[in-house]
Amino acid sequence: MNLLTEILVIWRAELGRALRSGRVVALLVLYGLFSALVLLTVGWMTRSAREQLAQQAGDAETAQRMAESARQSLLGFFVGFDPAVVEALQQVPLVVVVVFKLALFFLPLYVVLMGFDQVSGELGPRSLRYLVVRARRASVLGGKFLAQGTLLLVLVLLVDLAVIVYALATEPDLSAGVALTTLGRVWLATSIFALAYVALTTLCSTAFGTPGLSLVGNFVVLFGFWFLNLVGTASHASAQMRGEPPPLPALLRFATPSHYATDLLHPGAGAFALSVLAYAAFTAVFLVLAQLLLKARDV
Amino acid sequence: MSTPAIALAGVTKRFGATEAVSRLSLTVEEGQCFGLIGPNGAGKTTTFSLLCGFLHPTAGEVRVLGLTPSAPAALKRKVGVLPQDALLPPGWRVGPLLTYWARLSGLGEPEREAREALARVELPQAWDVETGALSHGMAKRVSLAQALMGEPPVVLLDEPTAGLDPKSAAHVRQLVRDMRGRQTVVVSSHNLGELEDLCDAAAILDRGRLAQAGTMGELTGQAVEFRVELARGEVPFAELAALPGVREAFVVPPGVLVVRHAPQAPPAEDVISDVVALLLQRGVRILSVTRGQRLEARVLQLL
Repeated sequence: MNLLTEILVIWRAELGRALRSGRVVALLVLYGLFSALVLLTVGWMTRSAREQLAQQAGDAETAQRMAESARQSLLGFFVGFDPAVVEALQQVPLVVVVVFKLALFFLPLYVVLMGFDQVSGELGPRSLRYLVVRARRASVLGGKFLAQGTLLLVLVLLVDLAVIVYALATEPDLSAGVALTTLGRVWLATSIFALAYVALTTLCSTAFGTPGLSLVGNFVVLFGFWFLNLVGTASHASAQMRGEPPPLPALLRFATPSHYATDLLHPGAGAFALSVLAYAAFTAVFLVLAQLLLKARDV
Repeated sequence: MSTPAIALAGVTKRFGATEAVSRLSLTVEEGQCFGLIGPNGAGKTTTFSLLCGFLHPTAGEVRVLGLTPSAPAALKRKVGVLPQDALLPPGWRVGPLLTYWARLSGLGEPEREAREALARVELPQAWDVETGALSHGMAKRVSLAQALMGEPPVVLLDEPTAGLDPKSAAHVRQLVRDMRGRQTVVVSSHNLGELEDLCDAAAILDRGRLAQAGTMGELTGQAVEFRVELARGEVPFAELAALPGVREAFVVPPGVLVVRHAPQAPPAEDVISDVVALLLQRGVRILSVTRGQRLEARVLQLL
């Protein structure tokens, strides 16, 4: 049996086991509730803002212009002030963009909760021994990663679908074609983003011998990445404002996955491809490190 | 000379400052049933884990069927393992779990293999039982079933009867007996009577080091010693010492005559017969005659 077949057998088995466990359903409910909360809040805020603007503007044309300006500001706040991105998202309902951006922030936490014990949970009780005697360690890792990845992609698709359906119901100007394209784009972007974090969770789960340590370690690594991105972005912005070349700490942001998130919705092929490449590289590095660790460690 | 099924050469395994196994060298011949003996902390389970590729040796070389166990897919379909302290994964029913493992092992008909293996450990009724709902003994037998699937050439059983009721333990011993000669079996157990009964050869470990290894006959001295349990009468020591092949004779309390003799010429049966005949002629009354000493006594002597 070759490596690929082994990975497929493990993927299928792990997927089945995960679906039988209650955790996936619980996380889907949690993710769904979170998205629903964001949807309702953003929807309510958008409606209120429109009503207020209509009252203040007096005529419909001014109200429309003011609403558009407010939308541009909000879009800029959420996706950066890159005119190309803002332009590309003109037809996308604001609520979809907000859910997407917030999901990018919270999704890594969901990924950790879903997969922190994928390997570590079998290291402590040593049930991994039953697998490594009949399959390559690389297959075990690959199968478990793919199972977690598959679950997450389905989970994200379900939530994104719900968001789009909500947007279709509440935004009369949104056509079915744009809704479908948006669904595809958002799901693709979230998936590429999420797979890197699934790989990071696989790495942490392999690095730590117990699920508890793996959970804590994974959160520490996540917050570490966010902190580095914050420091890097702040240094870069500060140097830009002073008109100085970026200092060394500004480079830190390039070493963090979250830095490349916004460009996943970039309309330009170059920026989008660069972002995809960055996430592919992060995924590969995390998985290779996990494999090296698992290969070297005693089970 | 054929390649041994298992060979350890100067193997050391350290966990931090603790040396669990120290410069251990031993070989297990193909088709042999080999016992690993030693008190708690002797390094038996560590040696097992090294043989299975679960642990990497700190120094030395481990070979199973000529392969390095920790190499990718090296032991696939070649070795069946019953790990001592590995729990069955939760969230599975026994049948589908065994089928999954059989499929992963690359066995032709995974479900049939799983059903047959469960039947061999007399647990076919456990097919639909959740792994978490199994009793300790049942989990042990399920674990044994997975080790037997596909009839691998090498089977490593760490404490296979620990925690089993007497009937199940006897059944497991019979399974091991059935494998002798067809498969190479390594068994670790604290039950020395069991090992003496099952094994062709054994290694006695003590604090990570090899105390002694050899065939069961060599370990128990069957080829060079026998014991006569005396009821009454005076033992004629001078005449016994003069018999062909007898090297020494002495009595150990409570009334057991120990006779040590040359290993081959004359044959052991002749020496035993001559000694018993002499004793009977001199009016000594005998309760029993046993060859060698019990493995337990030998181990207690060594450790």
